[in-house]
Amino acid sequence: MGLREDLERYREVGEAKRQDLADFIQYGDLGQSLPDEINIPIKIVDLPEFAYDQRDEGGIGQGEPDVGDPVGEPQPQPGDGDEEGDPGDESGDHDYYEMDPEEFAEELDDELGLDLEPKGKEVIEEKEGDFTDMTRTGPDSTLDFERMFKEGLKRKLAMDFDPEFLKEVLRIDGWGPDKTFSWARENAINVSKHWLEEAYSQIPDDEKTEWSSIEEVEENVTRRSTAQKIKEEGISHVPFRKEDERYRYPEIIEEREKNVVVVNIRDVSGSMREKKRELVERTFTPLDWYLTGKYDNAEFVYIAHDAEAWEVERDEFFGIRSGGGTKISSAYELAAAILDERYPWTDWNRYVFAAGDSENSRNDTSENVIPMMEEIPANLHAYVETQPDGKAINATHAEEVQDYFGDSSEVAVSFVNSPEDVTDAIYEILSTEAES
Amino acid sequence: MRERPRTKQAAEPLQEPADEARNLAHKLGLDPYDVNYWVVDYDEMNELIAYNGFQERYPHWRWGMQYDRQQKQGQYTGGKAFEIVINDDPSHAFLQESNAVADQKAVITHVEAHSDFFAENRWYRMFADELDAAAMLERHARRIEEYMADSDIDREEVEQWIDSVLCLEDNIDQHEPFKRQYEQRGDDDEEIENDELAEKLDEMDLSEEVKRQVFDEEWMDEQADAAELDEPEMDVLAFLRDHGKAYDEETEKAEEMEEWQREVLEMLRAESYYFAAQKLTKVMNEGWAAYWESMMMGEEAFAGDDEFLSYADHQARVLNSPGLNPYQLGKELWEYIENTENRREVCRKLLRVEGVTWRNFHDTVDFERVQDLLAPDPRIDSIDPENLDELDDLAPEKVDGEALDAAKEGDIDIERYPWKVLTYRGLAERHFSLCKRQNRGFLRSVAQQDLEQFARYIVDDARFDSVEEAIADVDYATGWDKMRDVRASNNDVTFLDSYLTQEFVNDNQYFTYEFSQTTGDYRVASTDYEDVKKKLMLQFTNFGKPTIAVYDGNYNNRNELLLGHHYNGVMLDVEQAKRTLERVFDLWGRPVNLKTIVKEVDDRDAEIARRRDREPEPEEVGKLLRYDGEQFTMEDLPWSEVEDIAATEVDYDTKPVDWLA
Repeated sequence: MGLREDLERYREVGEAKRQDLADFIQYGDLGQSLPDEINIPIKIVDLPEFAYDQRDEGGIGQGEPDVGDPVGEPQPQPGDGDEEGDPGDESGDHDYYEMDPEEFAEELDDELGLDLEPKGKEVIEEKEGDFTDMTRTGPDSTLDFERMFKEGLKRKLAMDFDPEFLKEVLRIDGWGPDKTFSWARENAINVSKHWLEEAYSQIPDDEKTEWSSIEEVEENVTRRSTAQKIKEEGISHVPFRKEDERYRYPEIIEEREKNVVVVNIRDVSGSMREKKRELVERTFTPLDWYLTGKYDNAEFVYIAHDAEAWEVERDEFFGIRSGGGTKISSAYELAAAILDERYPWTDWNRYVFAAGDSENSRNDTSENVIPMMEEIPANLHAYVETQPDGKAINATHAEEVQDYFGDSSEVAVSFVNSPEDVTDAIYEILSTEAES
Repeated sequence: MRERPRTKQAAEPLQEPADEARNLAHKLGLDPYDVNYWVVDYDEMNELIAYNGFQERYPHWRWGMQYDRQQKQGQYTGGKAFEIVINDDPSHAFLQESNAVADQKAVITHVEAHSDFFAENRWYRMFADELDAAAMLERHARRIEEYMADSDIDREEVEQWIDSVLCLEDNIDQHEPFKRQYEQRGDDDEEIENDELAEKLDEMDLSEEVKRQVFDEEWMDEQADAAELDEPEMDVLAFLRDHGKAYDEETEKAEEMEEWQREVLEMLRAESYYFAAQKLTKVMNEGWAAYWESMMMGEEAFAGDDEFLSYADHQARVLNSPGLNPYQLGKELWEYIENTENRREVCRKLLRVEGVTWRNFHDTVDFERVQDLLAPDPRIDSIDPENLDELDDLAPEKVDGEALDAAKEGDIDIERYPWKVLTYRGLAERHFSLCKRQNRGFLRSVAQQDLEQFARYIVDDARFDSVEEAIADVDYATGWDKMRDVRASNNDVTFLDSYLTQEFVNDNQYFTYEFSQTTGDYRVASTDYEDVKKKLMLQFTNFGKPTIAVYDGNYNNRNELLLGHHYNGVMLDVEQAKRTLERVFDLWGRPVNLKTIVKEVDDRDAEIARRRDREPEPEEVGKLLRYDGEQFTMEDLPWSEVEDIAATEVDYDTKPVDWLA
């Protein structure tokens, strides 16, 4: 049918028209992307036409604001997007070219002339027949259903929990949904507060004090893991997701899995203003994508620090601001502990990237940070200095690190003072390891 | 429409709703084209949407893009596509088989109203009086496919040519009737299909009132040789078709267009004209459909009780999508027209009561009492199947006698279709807008100056002795009658221009916003209705695009093309204009020029304004943008050169003087 062909042509045209990768990294809107799906604005999605200057055009809104109030981003206007099922109106201002991290890494290699060969760690893949090359589209017959099933199952395993056991936990005297919830979180049981509250309300009052402690419950109630449950009851439902679909190129078989953990460290102290923050995001985000694309399995640790360090989720990482002073070594201490506990060097490739404005507590760099950078085994340590408004006199962390390590292939230092520097910094960092 | 194996005519449970919706539409005064309903599955629905509602279009990546988008959107909206109806006689509408019956009914009522709009709005007559759009588009698809398959023609070249033409698809003269010049010149090409088409289009009965001098054959002949213009030509595509050349990359020269090039250009131009009517009436048409859908589904309970919730949910979702929503704006404006017309009618009657004048109106009229008197006759308001005899005493023009007899015999399901025993006038009373709860204050809120105006047309000898007598004389159908008149003769621009008032803007809380250079973001600029109206007009005049016309086909005596941008206070997106000019070059084959006016703010002024928290005053400068096939130049033009393209009175900028102060 004609439309299939039209769709293919669109993909081809889209590929040719998407924003240049380097431009995208330096100036593009990174916020439209997810960790495993990079959305690059297509430069000219639709054909050009004589149109009004968008800013000069202004617009219409509905509501009760006062004159002079900001309205945020312009609201969609007629002709921008379209209501469902509404014929007769072609439209579209921007669109995204969807890339997976593998493609991103490949493209970036081309673009920057990089050649980073990920090291296989000694983890034998247990999958039968593995594939290095997968694409997101392909003929139905090459759909890797097993992978899709496994991903679905993984999801289920990660999300599922043993409801019967939790109902017993709720029966502990004095616990209730709140305490059960925090207990569940500590034990990595993915149950929602809402679920617990619902379940609790179903329990008759006289049973709410059935147990006196968690230990008693654990002793008396058999706990079934999701795996067990599936064994006993079979699977009623595995959530399939479009994003898990991969189509294989079967001729290539690989035996070792390449694991990587990337630790992103960011100074969030008061001196790290908006511009600096943004430059860090611009540098770190593509690095994350790149490494995700290069390795079979990538995990990320995000550490924010001022004078102290704490681990955060990705969503918060780039937004946090705190007031305190700065002590970079606090972050390395935390990183060392996390890596030690969760990502043994024997099984994992490790990257430790830190960024900040080079301000640090007195002597902290030489006395604490540098020794730790030496001690923590990693494929690469990097420090990214962002100083968009020129350097403060006492900001010497980057220089000290650079002076100490010189041309080491295990430590990279780069300076990002404006978006133009981002791709150079990324090159600097990634090529440092590639040389080794 | 060509039948496809998987496309089947409306399934059994939908046949009755479709028939009854049609009957109800007629009762309500609508006169739609016949509609063929087709039930399709989800994928087919997406395909149809991608093709703008049709089954066959010429090969182009843009449909692929729309399909892709539609699919992605479907993932978020749960795959519910609701409505496709195509402007054709008969109309075709598509129902998605997975939708609930309530949704299907909503779609059907909505579609009937669209179909009425297609049939009755004069702008839809501009393309052709006898419409067979699906066949035309299919013919175009076949033709272009043939060219692409032709081994003498490079497929990519055809694609690029289409791209170039599409860049100018809105640069037609949509306010004039469409005329196919190309076929009329009688090319020797033995294309039976095209002859057929030409014949058909020749038969077009163009209304004299809108027929324009410039399309005279004499004029065309005159123009054929020397591409000189007495006045700017809005139909840029037609001009390029008649005078353009193709640029040959190899010889680096302008060559006469190939037959296929000229034909493709003309086919796409025809499609532009066909779709123009829908683009010109988006607010009106969507609002019209939403209004009648809600009348039929909600007020006339076309959705069963069990279906109503699901329907209400859908309606709310469509009308409350964010941003400026043509459905919402249109529906609000139609309701406002209905209310103001009804109010005018009631006020006029009241002003004829002894002792009531426009000066003392608000003090003498007992609005509560008027409201009670206006309330529809209870027998009409709720038709009681048990007591149909009660209806016998009603005024005959309100009751459908035949249907009433049938109902008494039990031949009509009055529980489900109570409206069947009423006439148009009866239904108008039943649904009189001023009696609805949400409109109860509307009568009282009439402005004194309006009353004064109504009073002027009242002759002394037509007085009523009492308010009762005056209200009894109210024509309940006034609002609906007016709405049908408005829908027949307007497009979005005239619709908004004529009916948008301060009262409407206040009631519906519209405001304008503008970009502030100083703060670097968009700020609320005005809630004044004149401003809101201006901004809305900007978005709907000329499809919301700047007006570009051909000013000279032999610019500077060098056969260069000169386009002019009618500057109305809002400047062009210059970067995009450059990319468009590159495409125009493909269709002209020789250097192309565009004169326009841009706003410039010098850095010093911007800085001073920023410090003072003011908005800098930009300077308007004439510019000539030229593309010679390789590079662009942009030079300043003296003001005298751009005077003819500069706005004199209309200025769409709504920034207040002391905006940020």
